[in-house]
Amino acid sequence: MQRMLSVDKLARPEDHVLVPAERTRKARVEQGLTPNGAMPYEEDFLKARLHGICAGEFQAMEAAGRTVFDFPDAPWEFQLDMARQVWDEARHAEIYMKLLDYVGSFYGEFPESEVLWSCTQAEDPAARVAGINRGLEGLACDVFEQLIRLAQKMGDEVIERSVDYVLADEITHVRMGSKWMRKLTEGDPERFKKAQDFQNNIDDLFNFGGTRTTVDKAGKIMQHVNGKDIEIDQGITIAREARLLAGFTEEELERLVRGFGKSQAY
Amino acid sequence: MAELGNRANVMGPQPIARIVEPPPAMITAADALLAALIAGRRAEIEAAADPQARDAMRMIADSVKPGAYDKVTIIGQARIAKHWYTKARLTGRTAKPFTLQFRLGQENADGNDGGRWSVREATNLTEVRSAWSK
Repeated sequence: MQRMLSVDKLARPEDHVLVPAERTRKARVEQGLTPNGAMPYEEDFLKARLHGICAGEFQAMEAAGRTVFDFPDAPWEFQLDMARQVWDEARHAEIYMKLLDYVGSFYGEFPESEVLWSCTQAEDPAARVAGINRGLEGLACDVFEQLIRLAQKMGDEVIERSVDYVLADEITHVRMGSKWMRKLTEGDPERFKKAQDFQNNIDDLFNFGGTRTTVDKAGKIMQHVNGKDIEIDQGITIAREARLLAGFTEEELERLVRGFGKSQAY
Repeated sequence: MAELGNRANVMGPQPIARIVEPPPAMITAADALLAALIAGRRAEIEAAADPQARDAMRMIADSVKPGAYDKVTIIGQARIAKHWYTKARLTGRTAKPFTLQFRLGQENADGNDGGRWSVREATNLTEVRSAWSK
């Protein structure tokens, strides 16, 4: 079986529309929207955001599974953690498919992009977990925390509790990533630096032009959601509390806020 | 996802919004484009494409031998905001199946359904696994 699977080898139902991220950005810009995914003030925000997360959960499940397979010589405990993550991500995918149903959508309503999978392609397990578990799962903490606050304002306990349940797992995944990034690179600063650089590139990719900030500093706008006018963030915020729980340091968070990216594993 | 039946008959949370159906005018435009492709009506195909998608549609039209296909199957549809992707397959007795994916957007979309739907991008997916293939 082939190791380091390219994105076009991922199995998908034939009726799903797959589109490279650069084209989805173009399609959004042509409609006068911001390029990088649905924003909280958009009419379709809940459907599109939950769909993007659901696709992310599928790709995270596949990535963790491939990590088990791609690195057979990695420590047994590392493989056990990755196997556990596959199971977690599979549950998350199921939860988000049900949430899509709940908000009047379905998996496949929007195209799926390859961007998250492209962030997993590191040939060293230390870099792989730095990118996936610290970079992408850190981003998931931000996105989920924002969704929980939005659901609270909507008075929607279904979304609030479902996403909170998933967020608890993501915090664990970040911690696993930090642990293995450090353990696998013990006594090898060059390998550590490469893993760090891989994560930095991913953090930079999701910087969205340096527009992200903390919840308290984010601009707010009014939006009509589910029959209610609520005040919401203008963009994706950085979830300070969730990231601290996940083990990011104050210093790292400061760096994220200042430049977003160049975070350092503790 | 499996059809869950009439949700009103079960306990638990009910959907808070409805599924967005493809606009009928978009479906008509997609059908007309695919019919023109099968028939080899080049002028019609080019007229349906925006300048940015014209070369891609021309190449697709070059690959579709007129008269070789007699059946169109819509495999999938998805949307980005108000633009719609259609993934379709052409089949015929004398030619290998031809698969393509294109995005339609409405010109001067003002909330009414008056604007013309035109092709904004098109990809030949024949013999590739997906549009993710580089």
